[in-house]
Amino acid sequence: MNQTISQTKPKSLLYLDGVSVSFDGFKALNSLSFVIEPGELRAIIGPNGAGKTTMMDIITGKTRPDEGQVFFKGDIDLTQRDEAEIANLGIGRKFQKPTVFESHTIWDNLELALNRSRGVFPTLFYRLTADDKTRIEEILSTVRLSARRDDLAANLSHGQKQWLEIGMLLAQEPELLLVDEPVAGMTDAETAETAVLLKEIARTRSVVVVEHDMGFIRELGVKVTCLAEGSVLAEGSIDFVSSDPKVIENYLGR
Amino acid sequence: MITSFLLKSLDRSIIAVVAILLGLAIAVPALNLLTAPDHPLHVPTYLVSLFGKYLTYALLALALDLVWGFCGILSLGHAAFFALGGYAMGMYLMRQIGARGSYGNPLLPDFMVFLNWKELPWFWQGFDMFWFAALMVVLVPGLLAFVFGWFAFRSRVNGVYLSIITQAMTYALLLAFFRNDMGFGGNNGLTDFKDILGFNIQAAGTRAALFAASALTLAICLVLTTAIVRSKYGKVLVAVRDAESRTRFLGYRVEHIKLFAFTVSAMMAGIAGALYVPQVGIINPGEFEPGNSIEVVIWTAVGGRGTLIGPIVGAILVNGGKSIFTAAFPEFWLFALGGLFVLVTLFLPKGVVGTASAYLARRKAHRRAADAERARDTLVAEPMAAE
Amino acid sequence: MYRILQTLLITLCLLVSAHVTGPRAADDLGALVSALGTAKLAELDDRIGALAKSGDPRVIPVLEALGEGNLYARKTDGGVFLTTEKGASLVLVDPLTGSAIGEAPKGELQKIKVNNAVRRAVRSALGGLTLFSADTGARLKAAQSMRQTPNADALEAIEAALAAEKDATVRKTLDEARAVTLLVSDRPDDDKRAAIKTLAESGGREALGVLTSALSSADASLKPDIEAALQRIEQAQVFWNAGQNVWYGLSLGSVLLLAAIGLAITFGVMGIINMAHGEMVMLGAYTTFLVQDVIRTSYPALFDWSLAIALPLAFLVTGVIGLAIERSVIRFLYGRPLETLLATWGISLILQQAVRSIFGPTNREVGNPSWMAGAFDVGGLTITWNRLWIIVFALAVFAALLFLLKRTSMGLRMRAVTQNRRMASSMGIRTPFVDALTFALGSGIAGMAGVALSQIDNVSPNLGQGYIIDSFMVVVFGGVGNLWGTLVGAFSLGILNKFLEPYAGAVLGKILVLVLIILFIQKKPRGLFALKGRAVEA
Repeated sequence: MNQTISQTKPKSLLYLDGVSVSFDGFKALNSLSFVIEPGELRAIIGPNGAGKTTMMDIITGKTRPDEGQVFFKGDIDLTQRDEAEIANLGIGRKFQKPTVFESHTIWDNLELALNRSRGVFPTLFYRLTADDKTRIEEILSTVRLSARRDDLAANLSHGQKQWLEIGMLLAQEPELLLVDEPVAGMTDAETAETAVLLKEIARTRSVVVVEHDMGFIRELGVKVTCLAEGSVLAEGSIDFVSSDPKVIENYLGR
Repeated sequence: MITSFLLKSLDRSIIAVVAILLGLAIAVPALNLLTAPDHPLHVPTYLVSLFGKYLTYALLALALDLVWGFCGILSLGHAAFFALGGYAMGMYLMRQIGARGSYGNPLLPDFMVFLNWKELPWFWQGFDMFWFAALMVVLVPGLLAFVFGWFAFRSRVNGVYLSIITQAMTYALLLAFFRNDMGFGGNNGLTDFKDILGFNIQAAGTRAALFAASALTLAICLVLTTAIVRSKYGKVLVAVRDAESRTRFLGYRVEHIKLFAFTVSAMMAGIAGALYVPQVGIINPGEFEPGNSIEVVIWTAVGGRGTLIGPIVGAILVNGGKSIFTAAFPEFWLFALGGLFVLVTLFLPKGVVGTASAYLARRKAHRRAADAERARDTLVAEPMAAE
Repeated sequence: MYRILQTLLITLCLLVSAHVTGPRAADDLGALVSALGTAKLAELDDRIGALAKSGDPRVIPVLEALGEGNLYARKTDGGVFLTTEKGASLVLVDPLTGSAIGEAPKGELQKIKVNNAVRRAVRSALGGLTLFSADTGARLKAAQSMRQTPNADALEAIEAALAAEKDATVRKTLDEARAVTLLVSDRPDDDKRAAIKTLAESGGREALGVLTSALSSADASLKPDIEAALQRIEQAQVFWNAGQNVWYGLSLGSVLLLAAIGLAITFGVMGIINMAHGEMVMLGAYTTFLVQDVIRTSYPALFDWSLAIALPLAFLVTGVIGLAIERSVIRFLYGRPLETLLATWGISLILQQAVRSIFGPTNREVGNPSWMAGAFDVGGLTITWNRLWIIVFALAVFAALLFLLKRTSMGLRMRAVTQNRRMASSMGIRTPFVDALTFALGSGIAGMAGVALSQIDNVSPNLGQGYIIDSFMVVVFGGVGNLWGTLVGAFSLGILNKFLEPYAGAVLGKILVLVLIILFIQKKPRGLFALKGRAVEA
């Protein structure tokens, strides 16, 4: 398996090989390897404690792996960089719990997320250009929040906060989007809309979705990776994975 | 670019405060110098200095608010930056004494002669020139804040940990400045100043000018702080305060964002200290007392952290109260101050200004909602476009 | 029957001894004393030596008078007298019997002239003589003085005294004095080598000084021995100095531990920055003062028990105050540590001012019970009882607390609340109750610390302020939420402080420690023994 992976490294967008990390003796990731192709939408499932969030922490630079390789766009070593640097390389991340800037307006949230120079002085002397305005308007309509642009983010509903966060990720213009449980706590209608939204987004960039909701994943209709105990258990279409006896035993069957 | 940056800050309330400050800068000196002592509107010189002192405190509180109110960094070391600025100014004033000290040494300040020092230490060189001292007033606190902040923010020392180590920093400085061999006058500090820029420091005219300078500086710093806070950078500051890791995952270098605010804030505190020293006539290690830094926090909290006018109002309210209180019932001042700490944190977390403006905003929102309702009633009901 | 026998025996002894030593000795001494009157200045030295060799205590006043210039010879018959001035005449006293002879005009008498050399001879002779005093304390003092200022002439006297000495301490001192003196005498090199060995074994700063000064004047053959001995002593001193520093460090560490341990609970377990913690310590100290005050006026016999009485009282007083603070202020501020910092700072100001208003701003005196006073030596270490007891007490408090947290159901609940407040609450633990008790416990421990600290610090309204920053440093350094971290943090900071002090001075040492902690927190923002894992980071 490792050999096939190293062959795919040059043209892959994200490449993880043999990544392990442990906290106080507990192995959160155990030689985890997988590859995301450019433009791919991938769903990742797995029981609690399978290492899904830790995997995201490692990709985004929050946690350093004990061993293993993480490469972005073939040759950018992510293990040597911190969160801000990785974000600027083009990897966006949505947290499990929706995190937006509650004391800013929706508009300001998007303006902050916009992919512009993020240094102290450029932001100090930043002026909103017509281009930037159009871009924010676009995103507002994509995430269906145009009418609420001047409201404080704190006043949004839970589902709207999730969308705002996805909108912020879009404004960031990443090549790879990591989305942690985007439909947790959403109504069925909202879930369906989110699936549409993510598929739309995946047309122009790669998206990795971590989710528990099997219905939602079926709706996405993409390749699924099942993690358990820190490594890949099975990979393939949703029907293939959900019929795998190991997956059933570890995850679905319970 | 700079003008648009500054212009952004000028909303109605800020313009009003700046106008008041400029008015004070003219009116108070005028009422002091141009009216006879028995005139009903006469402002005695001691009050000019007292109000001048309040204005420097207000500047210090404003500086703290920039980091605490807008970025969530509760610095318990701002009195240290204030004191460092004060010491830089004090050193200039000491060198101005020249041969008029009790020992008549033209070069060495009295305390050095007393300690039997033979020559001026290297770090006292250049302080005979005002421009150099003025530069040090911002540079020394700024540099300390930069180095300290660079270490602290880089290793993500946050929240109470940061508060505690800033407190340790000011405590270490307190101990250091108490030592005679540090060369800053030890226990007694620097005092017995004679003149500043050639003017007698005791003279009413100089006092009035210092007051005007304090008011003017405060006005300038208020405009500057407002500009910073209202810029996109200011929005990032608030973003860091509310959701630090979100900001980081958006690609902002949180440590740089914090470091800039911390350094600017320390420089403003240094300027406040430099204006404070000539008006009170002394600077000693007591200014580094950890309690002082905490007191600045309460001024800011009383006025309203995260508002721009709040810290100014708070500093003047609390210190005015302190002056009145300590004269009337000296025994009870600490009870009052302590009570203030407790009551403000419990019942007035937004402070006076914050609470007032939240009330006004709510009323405005109510009115707008009512207007909108009326407008909708007159129109034919249509489904919202967004749906 | 027995009494008669006893009396007889004593009489007999007296008679015999008077007969044997009395008259003959008096005659000899008389001649020796008279010889002083006729001696030339250069001869006086020998005469004094002869007197000193007699070892008779009656010689002491004679020599003292000689040294002070109060010894006169009568011109007519050469009789020697002790004198005191009375107007133009002198009052004469017999030098050996001490009985008054009468008065005589000054002109009839001739003062026995002395110079500095003679005075020195007198002094060393006197030193030698007190070596034979009946009083052990006086002998020890004489031996110590001879050890300090060695004089070759006294060597025989010292050896004589050493032969007769029974008391072990005095013997040891004499032995060292003999070695010191021997080095400056003209005895053979082998004896000197033995003396060097004795000194090397005894060690200490004095031996070091003696050997260093001997090094310059000694023969070439002796030099290597002296150098080796010097090295040995220096090594021993480095060792004992380090030991003493460790002891001071442990002592400081125990004080830090006492002050910080309550904080470790309120900060570590509850996430509250209790700036009024120092004031709880202060209130504990004032409780001790009140207890001692009552004891002094009403039950003086109980004074030695005052601390034992104060301890539970202080725990109760500060615990109740802590409970009141938690219920009235802190419970509204959970999850907002910076706000607790401000509110508790306000409380600390109120408490300080309250104590100042009630007890006055000055220090109040708290006494040490007898078992806390004094010190004893272990090798080259001096250990004071109060410090030792405070270390023991700090460790006892630590152990008790550890037991409470790890082995009781209350402790289990406290730990549950620390780790996951919501979960604990849904498991049916009454979190507000646990919070209140935890805070009261932390405060109560601070109060007990105050009882201990009243023994070594000034009891004033500012007592607590001196400890608050140090205590926070200890907790942060050791790692929040870990009692062992607090223990290690307190002792390592204490020892570090005391090891820096000799090089940097007390103040600079403290500054250095603060700077080091600030740098340390950069490296390990969560302290020495940090809790790890995802739960804490969230």
